[in-house]
Amino acid sequence: MKVELKQASSYDDEGAVIRAVSVTDDIRNAIDILKNNGLSIPAIMDGTTVMIKAGSIYYVESVDKRTYIYTKDGCFETKYRLYELEDILGVNFLRCSKAMIVNIRKIRSVKAEMNARMNAELLNGERLIISRGYVKELKRKLGV
Amino acid sequence: MNKAKMIFNQTLMISTGILFGVGVQTALQFLANGNTSFQWQWYIPLSIIFAGFLCSLATLFLTYDDVSGRSEGYLRVCLHFIAVFAIVSLCGYLFGWYTALDEYIPIVIMYVIIYAFVWISSNWMLKSDEKKINKAIDEIRDEE
Repeated sequence: MKVELKQASSYDDEGAVIRAVSVTDDIRNAIDILKNNGLSIPAIMDGTTVMIKAGSIYYVESVDKRTYIYTKDGCFETKYRLYELEDILGVNFLRCSKAMIVNIRKIRSVKAEMNARMNAELLNGERLIISRGYVKELKRKLGV
Repeated sequence: MNKAKMIFNQTLMISTGILFGVGVQTALQFLANGNTSFQWQWYIPLSIIFAGFLCSLATLFLTYDDVSGRSEGYLRVCLHFIAVFAIVSLCGYLFGWYTALDEYIPIVIMYVIIYAFVWISSNWMLKSDEKKINKAIDEIRDEE
């Protein structure tokens, strides 16, 4: 496949267009990587280490110096600290409070609350609070 | 740093609000009595900034931190309204912004109008942000 790379002027302008006859496994993998789904995080559930795809994470929470990853399949503990995951997980993830990172792509909707914060409903029905200090960052990430 | 910035911004905003109130009052006096000038003691401008600073502290202590529920939010707003009103009244009394009841009543009316205006416009901006964020999220949301 011919690959062409063009310099983008800013991160907001970054994007990829794939022209393909059909969606093969290779192309699906490429899409996953581009969407950050290719990245996996080691985590533990019931004593077993599993690799969790970044794209499947709903949110990450830090409780009593332990870090938990929440996905559709349940809750996993990871050895990473919250600030480390914030760097690793990348642009689709947002620090929404001191102890939580949320996957923006898993947010169904947000609702403005008092005190300039937002109440976010996730695709799994859970609700999280985006603190006022992080609403600005959410707007920046979404380009609004 | 965020708190210091918030105190600075609030001090500026509240001081401007008080100056706006004074401006309206002098304009009304001009329209009613034809007064074309008024005199201030040397400390009045500084007292306005000082009152703005005290009100910003009330904002910091009563509304900056996240609240746990809607009722607590409303309670904090009520407390904030009362605290800021008490600060404005006390500063007005100490610095001689008013000397009699007929001078105090316009201050009370203006305070209620300015507070309501700021509250309504802040909520309107928040709702506007909510719509923009939801629209942007719709475009990138994962399918489950």
